[in-house]
Amino acid sequence: MNLKISALEFVQEVKNGNISAEDFVAKTLERIQSVDDKLHAFLSVNEEAVDKAQEIDKKVKSGDKVGACFGMPISIKDNMCIKDSKTTCASKMLEDFVAPYDATVITKLKEQDAVFIGKVNLDEFAMGLTTEFSAFGPSKNPWNTEYVPGGSSGGSAVSVSAFECIASLGSDTGGSVRNPASFCSTVGYKPTYGLISRYGLISYSNSIEQIGPLTRTVKDAAFMLNIISGLDINDNTTLDDKNEDYLSEIDSGIEGKKIGIIKEMIGDSIDPAVLSATKDAIAKLESLGAICEEVSLDMVQYSVAAYYTITATEAGSNLARYDNLRYGYDFPVEGYEFNSYISKARKNFGPEVIRRMIIGGFVPSAGKAGKYFLKAMKVKSKLTKEIDEAFKKYDLLIAPTVPILPFKIGEKIDDPVSLFLIDINTVTANLTGKPAISIPFAISNGLPIGIQLLADSMNDKLLLQAAHALEQTVKLPEVPI
Amino acid sequence: MVTEEEIEHVAKLMRIEIDDHKEFVDKVQAMIDYFDVLDSAGVESEEISMHEIPISNLREDKHIPFNEKLIDKLNNYKGTYVRAPKMST
Repeated sequence: MNLKISALEFVQEVKNGNISAEDFVAKTLERIQSVDDKLHAFLSVNEEAVDKAQEIDKKVKSGDKVGACFGMPISIKDNMCIKDSKTTCASKMLEDFVAPYDATVITKLKEQDAVFIGKVNLDEFAMGLTTEFSAFGPSKNPWNTEYVPGGSSGGSAVSVSAFECIASLGSDTGGSVRNPASFCSTVGYKPTYGLISRYGLISYSNSIEQIGPLTRTVKDAAFMLNIISGLDINDNTTLDDKNEDYLSEIDSGIEGKKIGIIKEMIGDSIDPAVLSATKDAIAKLESLGAICEEVSLDMVQYSVAAYYTITATEAGSNLARYDNLRYGYDFPVEGYEFNSYISKARKNFGPEVIRRMIIGGFVPSAGKAGKYFLKAMKVKSKLTKEIDEAFKKYDLLIAPTVPILPFKIGEKIDDPVSLFLIDINTVTANLTGKPAISIPFAISNGLPIGIQLLADSMNDKLLLQAAHALEQTVKLPEVPI
Repeated sequence: MVTEEEIEHVAKLMRIEIDDHKEFVDKVQAMIDYFDVLDSAGVESEEISMHEIPISNLREDKHIPFNEKLIDKLNNYKGTYVRAPKMST
């Protein structure tokens, strides 16, 4: 059984009767059992996955209508609710939380006969970019287990990269899908803000976060988007994409398309290997008929500070609900006054979450809001104007997904500002609501490099077409695990 | 400069007990120092744009009956207080 096939290949194979969903899911569970001790992608595995796959096989055999996923095993970042199963957010605070309802993306995937193989690791409440801040321990990069897999959707990227599932759903607040996709050599896609419902995603920073797929191929990302995108009455920030088919015309190519190379994202701090890969990607796009030239987005240099100011403020508000009354862990109330009980219980948040909440209380507070929060919001507005202006001239923008190569576990954990700066190339898409995708492009010293393309809002179809064209120029070695 | 008193005040607002406020002073100071880069962005005259939500996207405002008797689940009383059941196993 070849577990390395893409989502579309899997669907075709099950449809044609060449493989059964049950066998594939069973083999996938065996794979998880054999490699996940080393990788720690999964926080929980769905013991009923094989039974679910069996049900789908029965439908295939009897000629009943089968959903588009045909029993495809998918992992889900553990900050999305699946009814009656644990959703921990990789936090002690939600260690035993059982979701009472399905997130909209889960409902849609269930309707299309996806099989949820398990819930995967993340930085606690999606705050981080290495998965080191998970309360249940870090995930490891399958390309070299001494290295971080990126984050916060690290478990998603590891599980796809190491063939522990076919596809995964992550969430991207400042690059949390694209960063681990780049570090683990998978496709990672953040759609236009509003294209995918956030209902049932445990919120960190509502105004900029989006759910996005991590897949083996760009076509698989388009396939996933076809299933999970669209209006949702439970999330009034969702957009109507008129049931767009993102897979159709994906082979359209990029001949004649104008691509802006974002100057501020290939600055002095970029790793030489990443710069070289970026130049190579630009040359390949040009050879496919694209016209590439440099463009400046001046506000990018302030984007990380703006991003952390805004997200910490929203996080402070979002995490206020974890008072250990309705949500929380077993901690007896006896002997505490009401407020001191809550404060004591909230000590169980991890260090990064506490740090961000303190920042989130500090930057919008009286006397500080004008200096930090309001300025951050103004940078966000100006950056949006700049990028909107750029898209009047260019169809797409390009930059490396992450300016550096994956680094060793523990190497940067005590230096929050140097960790922040790794987000410099990804936060722009979040602050402006634009779609962006990371495409596996090169391997340097055994470590992956991803290239990022951005498009204007609701131009996700064009973005996927361009990403597919670039992907076709690349042949990478197989993950060594 | 971030002071211990400020950290103590913010921690109280955020309802987090912190044993050593001093420990957070340096960490928060490092982050705040970095955020000072916003001062040079030259955005003073910029207007903050707001995300507009089309009214058609709002769900219908109607009563949905909920038949579960929540009051039956409230069995943790102490004096005049009642503790809500946890969303857990």
